Amino acid sequence: MTALVSPTAPATIPSATPYLQMRGITKAFGTLLANDHVDLTVRDREIHAVVGENGAGKTTLMNILYGLIHPDSGDIVIDGSPVRIRGPRDAIAAGIGMVHQHFQLVPVMTVAENVVLGQEPGGVVIDRRAAVRQVGELSERFGLVVDPTARVETLPVGVQQRVELLKILYRGSRLLVFDEPTAVLTPQETDELFEILRGLVAGGKTVILITHKLNEVMAISERVTVLRQGRNAGELETAKTSPAEIARAMVGREVLLRVERDEPHIGEERLRLDGLKANSDRQLPALDGIDLTVRSGEIVGIAGVSGNGQLELAEVIAGLRPVTDGHVFLGGEDVAHQATAERRVHGLAYIPEDRQARGLVLPFDVKDNLILGSQSRPPFAQRGQRNSEAVEERARELIRRYDIRPPDPEAPAESLSGGNQQKVVVARELAENPKVLVAAEPARGLDVGATEFIHRQLIEQRDHGLAILLISSELDEIFSLSDSIAVIYRGRIVEVVPSAAADRERIGLLMAGGTIEGGTPSASQVAQAAASLATEPPGTPPPREAGSPGQAGPQ
Amino acid sequence: MRMLAAGITPVLAVVLAIIVGGIVVLASGSNPITAYESMLVGAVGSPFDISETFISSIPLILAAYAVSFAFRSGLFNIGAEGQLYMGAIAATWVATTLSDWPGLPLIIVCIVAAMAAGGAWAGIAGWLKAKTGAHEVITTMMLSYVAIDISHWLLEAGPMTPANAFGTPESGPIPPQAAFPVILPSWILPNARLNASLFLTILAGLVFAWILWRTPLGYEIRAVGLNAKAAAYGGINVARRLVIAMVIAGAFAGLAGMVPVWVQMRLYDSFSPGYGYEAIAVALVGKNSAVGIFLAGLLYGAMIHGAVAMQANANISGFLVQILQALVLFFVGAEVLIRWFLRRGGFRALAEAAS
Repeated sequence: MTALVSPTAPATIPSATPYLQMRGITKAFGTLLANDHVDLTVRDREIHAVVGENGAGKTTLMNILYGLIHPDSGDIVIDGSPVRIRGPRDAIAAGIGMVHQHFQLVPVMTVAENVVLGQEPGGVVIDRRAAVRQVGELSERFGLVVDPTARVETLPVGVQQRVELLKILYRGSRLLVFDEPTAVLTPQETDELFEILRGLVAGGKTVILITHKLNEVMAISERVTVLRQGRNAGELETAKTSPAEIARAMVGREVLLRVERDEPHIGEERLRLDGLKANSDRQLPALDGIDLTVRSGEIVGIAGVSGNGQLELAEVIAGLRPVTDGHVFLGGEDVAHQATAERRVHGLAYIPEDRQARGLVLPFDVKDNLILGSQSRPPFAQRGQRNSEAVEERARELIRRYDIRPPDPEAPAESLSGGNQQKVVVARELAENPKVLVAAEPARGLDVGATEFIHRQLIEQRDHGLAILLISSELDEIFSLSDSIAVIYRGRIVEVVPSAAADRERIGLLMAGGTIEGGTPSASQVAQAAASLATEPPGTPPPREAGSPGQAGPQ
Repeated sequence: MRMLAAGITPVLAVVLAIIVGGIVVLASGSNPITAYESMLVGAVGSPFDISETFISSIPLILAAYAVSFAFRSGLFNIGAEGQLYMGAIAATWVATTLSDWPGLPLIIVCIVAAMAAGGAWAGIAGWLKAKTGAHEVITTMMLSYVAIDISHWLLEAGPMTPANAFGTPESGPIPPQAAFPVILPSWILPNARLNASLFLTILAGLVFAWILWRTPLGYEIRAVGLNAKAAAYGGINVARRLVIAMVIAGAFAGLAGMVPVWVQMRLYDSFSPGYGYEAIAVALVGKNSAVGIFLAGLLYGAMIHGAVAMQANANISGFLVQILQALVLFFVGAEVLIRWFLRRGGFRALAEAAS
């Protein structure tokens, strides 16, 4: 079998023989049917995407394939012969390898040691040199650039993922399953991963990619299996479909990937940043004199490659990071040195970039999370006492209005899905009728349906006169929501343009540090900018460390 | 129902501790039934023993509130012992200095002094944490040594040593009008020592729960304890809440220090058998809830007092009690183990509830 497909060209389908068939897979957890007669057919040497919203049954299906979960019924056929997979051992023997979302590596061991772990070369004593050589050969063959002698903990996340991949290649797997592999990657790393995937297929492997990001599906896969609420909702050829069609199959109704919005009715100035400077966590300058104005009824989008000061900008406005110089005017008043609580009273709301680490107290129930920030103000506090009725009434109202599920004010926030957690944050931040909203990565890690919902809320609030500063590393989001776009690069706003007049290519160049007068940007800068044009931002960071949250002390 | 479910683990932990402790007694050549019987009778067998069990329990319960309250803000207050000493010193000093005051105002001033001193002492650790990030485990511990040594100095040859002390390290007597009223009528138990500090303890439990669950301050303290970043985002002044939480915690400990002094009616040197340390265990077994801590404190108090009778009547070393206390703590800590047992035994619903 000589695969002569170029790694960069979209691979043609080499043969129509199904390599893997999962037929009628059914699995119930209690009363919930996680998989209801699901079929999955993956052809030999293709990249096959399995997509669906959170909770559609993708992970269950893959865990069944890998033997982590036993199906109630259904068959698995590999290469024409039925197989029984009772555990990961059987799966590995059948040539199935899985790259988990959370890596299973020993941080203090080297790359080579991690890869050969469990199947070490040599007799009683591990032949380390052989291990290094074998791993080196393997990484060369599949174009996975990594130093076999490096300690895993010193490697960036994207390279650690390659080590995971090397592990399963070392075990001779032919079918490689990737569970949301881009969730932890930067746009650049995502691009590199896609190159690797193409290389693997060219080298005779078959890839299953679990994801809910449509642009990734369109960019890399050949065919797509869509799951919805535990059932098959379509099998599509990527070349013959569109993101809209996939989204419709995922959500079960028409989805507006691009939010419709009317002309803005721009009113008075609400937020003005004047020569704003601030430092990063490492006390290095992160904001280098930001000047920006956001007015009532408009959305100003901050476009930029992650790490150019966006995070610091949001925190400085919210009062969570000290201002080293400059002013923050909120409704005409300089609040640069006011506490967060005072700014909230002045009508500031903030959707933070990380809902789990910052936006929510996860062990608190929904109703308590819905009053965070207003807990000491009437009607929730009266004469030093908590007004439980008001708290519950607010919770019931917001749960209904934002369709938060489950509709239980007493449910701990940590038990909610990511989309519903974000609804809690958004509902809370909009509940006090703010004048200015800072929305940082408001749709990060959310599936299509939840993203659409959040975006609609933002547009609706803008139409009601809210001034919104939108910070997003996803250019699609910036373009579809913003009335004007400000490009941030190295802590400075390098350009502000009305979005109607904005040119995507130009914005991309500016994000990478290119200027019109300053000559052409370097190739790597362009690549970086292109990456952020093509792919979504890194998803939600991995959940907080395990352990009883009730016992976690402040850091 | 939720409260009931939360109690499953500690109750099972106690049962398992009794079983394993019984095996230890058996292995040492004694009869576990006799041992437990004499301990039980010794703890609650007579009005006198019940009264004494309460007396052993009350400082533990109050000090455990001090540990737990700080814990709710995410801080490990392992220095309740020192805060308790400061409370005892302050209350004694006020009582002996204002010995000509009438009863009720004097009691109130003493209570306020004890709580203020304990609160201030814990507040130092809270302030250091908030200002400099100094770890509260270290600071509360070190402040404990300081407090205990201050008490040695004050009582052995310092300003609190009475003129006629004959070298015994102790304070002057607490004026009788400052005593808590005895709450057991003499027809039940003549000369009972159990006094109104029991009501004070119940009140403290109510205040503990009220602050945490019924006030915005409690909400903010819990938010800081569970996710300080989210708390700051919600406009909560995290540093200030940490200090306040420690001050309130210390106030409970200060009260815990006053109570034993008001039983003996004099502040003796080294008066605490380690209430502040034992309280950490009580807080854990009580799962940081007001009711749980009250019950756990009674259990520990009963074990401590029951041990005396067990040692005398069944001729079994009082150290069994320490083994039992350790086992209870061990099994409460080994919650996973208990859940596993429950699941194996087919009590799935209980196992889920216990988690």
